[in-house]
Amino acid sequence: MKKVTAAITAVGGYVPDYVLTNSELETIAQISDEWIVSRSGIRERHILKGEGKATSDLCVPIAQEICRKRGISPEEVEAIIVATITPDMPMPCTANIVTDKIGACNAWGVDVNAACAGFLYAMDIGARFIESGRYKNVMIIGADKMSAIIDYTDKTTCSIFGDGGGGVLLEPNDEGYGVLDSILQTDGSGWKHLNIKAGGSARPANADTVAERAHYVYMNGGTIYKHAVTQLEKVARELLSRNHLSIDNISWLVPHQANKRIVDAVSQQLGIDAGKVMLNVHRYGNTTAGTLPLCIWDYEKQLKKDDKLVLVTFGAGFMWGSSYIKWAYDGS
Amino acid sequence: MKKITAAITAVGGYVPDYVLTNAELEQMVDTSDDWITARFGIKERRILKGMDKGTSELCTPVALEICRRRGIQPEEIEVLILSTATPDRITPSTSLIVMSKIGASNAWGLDINAACSGFLCGLNIGASFIESGRYRNVMVISGDKMSAVVDYKDRTTCVLFGDGAGGVLLEPSEGGFGVMDVLLRSDVSDIDGLHIKAGGSARPATSITVDNREHFVQMNGKTVLKYAVPGMIQVVQDILHRNQLSVADLDWLVPHQANKRILEIVARELGIPLEKVMINIDRYGNTSAGTVPLCLWDYRDKLKNGDKLILVSIGAGFIWGASYVLWGADNYYK
Repeated sequence: MKKVTAAITAVGGYVPDYVLTNSELETIAQISDEWIVSRSGIRERHILKGEGKATSDLCVPIAQEICRKRGISPEEVEAIIVATITPDMPMPCTANIVTDKIGACNAWGVDVNAACAGFLYAMDIGARFIESGRYKNVMIIGADKMSAIIDYTDKTTCSIFGDGGGGVLLEPNDEGYGVLDSILQTDGSGWKHLNIKAGGSARPANADTVAERAHYVYMNGGTIYKHAVTQLEKVARELLSRNHLSIDNISWLVPHQANKRIVDAVSQQLGIDAGKVMLNVHRYGNTTAGTLPLCIWDYEKQLKKDDKLVLVTFGAGFMWGSSYIKWAYDGS
Repeated sequence: MKKITAAITAVGGYVPDYVLTNAELEQMVDTSDDWITARFGIKERRILKGMDKGTSELCTPVALEICRRRGIQPEEIEVLILSTATPDRITPSTSLIVMSKIGASNAWGLDINAACSGFLCGLNIGASFIESGRYRNVMVISGDKMSAVVDYKDRTTCVLFGDGAGGVLLEPSEGGFGVMDVLLRSDVSDIDGLHIKAGGSARPATSITVDNREHFVQMNGKTVLKYAVPGMIQVVQDILHRNQLSVADLDWLVPHQANKRILEIVARELGIPLEKVMINIDRYGNTSAGTVPLCLWDYRDKLKNGDKLILVSIGAGFIWGASYVLWGADNYYK
């Protein structure tokens, strides 16, 4: 009996139309283009505008693109997992709203909250669903409307984050393609460096939490940078080694797009050519759960069957990890 | 090669000490013990008191009890899946806080949200993890601090909900025990039937959302009833059918505890005698994601190796589903 693996058979991505440039941020938050670019490499990010618009509005076009590219109708989708820290509402979950909006009437859905590691963690769940034989297809979407939780008077965060997302369809494969391995790790001691203080059950929303601006992302960038660079290199090396791969065997490194400096440092330490590293943080900023699938979507045309991809991500918690994917189709 | 299944090898549960009785609710809102008992079958519910206490405070003792019962150290846990609609914080995940508190230093984990059906979704994920052969154990915990999202001025909801959590440990079984099947469905055409309007990306917290009390659960009981009764009956019948089981084969029905009347109607329509239906809503109210594992925990001493259980739940969305569990494990369960 051949082992079934979960292959990626289609990719979708979406960023909203509105472009928030560094020069607009100069006006609203008094930070200079030069300062932002030198610290993060970010030139612009996309923002979802409009009263009541939410993360499901980012996910719907992604899900529809995936169906269109794969040539399936939404009714054929069996499960949708949405990784997000910015669900439309505390309940019901956003995945359910997405199944409804695209007409995936035979699918069930669940949200995953694992911050910037959300997509990688959700993809691991999807891969296990396929490998266990429970489902014939699973849609994995990572998306965040970060503008809902960003304080545009906080210089340290407002230039970093943007809205957007992407997703993939996973299907069974018996030729050894797909999500072949993952190493996922966490360290709860990191929670204090990146968090949102209020809006959960520990500090529910009230007049004080709103007045204190406690519903926005708090971030201590310096500490995260150090942990991210160290752990990302370590977890990528561990993944390569247990799959008997050297860095030269890798076709693409797909890093979480938090900051160009982190991407550069990790690539350098791993010794991979910059030409093999997916990068789009300059155009989208950090879209949290959205970055990895947005990268794959952006680079899809350059991907070839048999390409070996290593995904790495690091985020709030801390939660981080790395996945090894053997690409199943020619992107062009 | 024998198919590996995911056996439930330990159960844990936790409710906080403070008991909110119907008599106390009579002092808070215009309601009465008779009315609450007649309509919902709820006598009391537990409330987690104390500043800054979140859902992790409910889940931590559950995780510790599971380790103790199974005789393992927290460091041996490989994965923790925590389902909740009331995480401690928006980020980072509550699972991480629990792992940190118990010292599960070798585990990774994540939060999922599927409202009251969170435990079934978590069980589905955990079982897949075990079946794929990648993990030797997965802890699935579900809990909600509903008192954080309940408006104690809204007499239609504040009598219903309580705080609590429960969970299980899943391990590989070659003897065919454990989570045999999970069937999940969703339909969001009546989203207003049960939801929390603000606090997400559609309506972030502002002084207006706070003033409008939009951070609290809003529920239309009639709409919930319209989905819950036929939804739960149909999904139980479907999972029985696809596992070639009849109602007579069942030892236990383990239903989400939202309303005792709903449970009684569902059991009657399915033809399941009430003594085979796990019920503890009278003591805990609706603990959202916590109800199903809290039932397993309450009834654990009555369960025998080989018992056939159907778990069934419905929650906000709506998302509902059922799971067929063959109770027991290869060697080690008492």
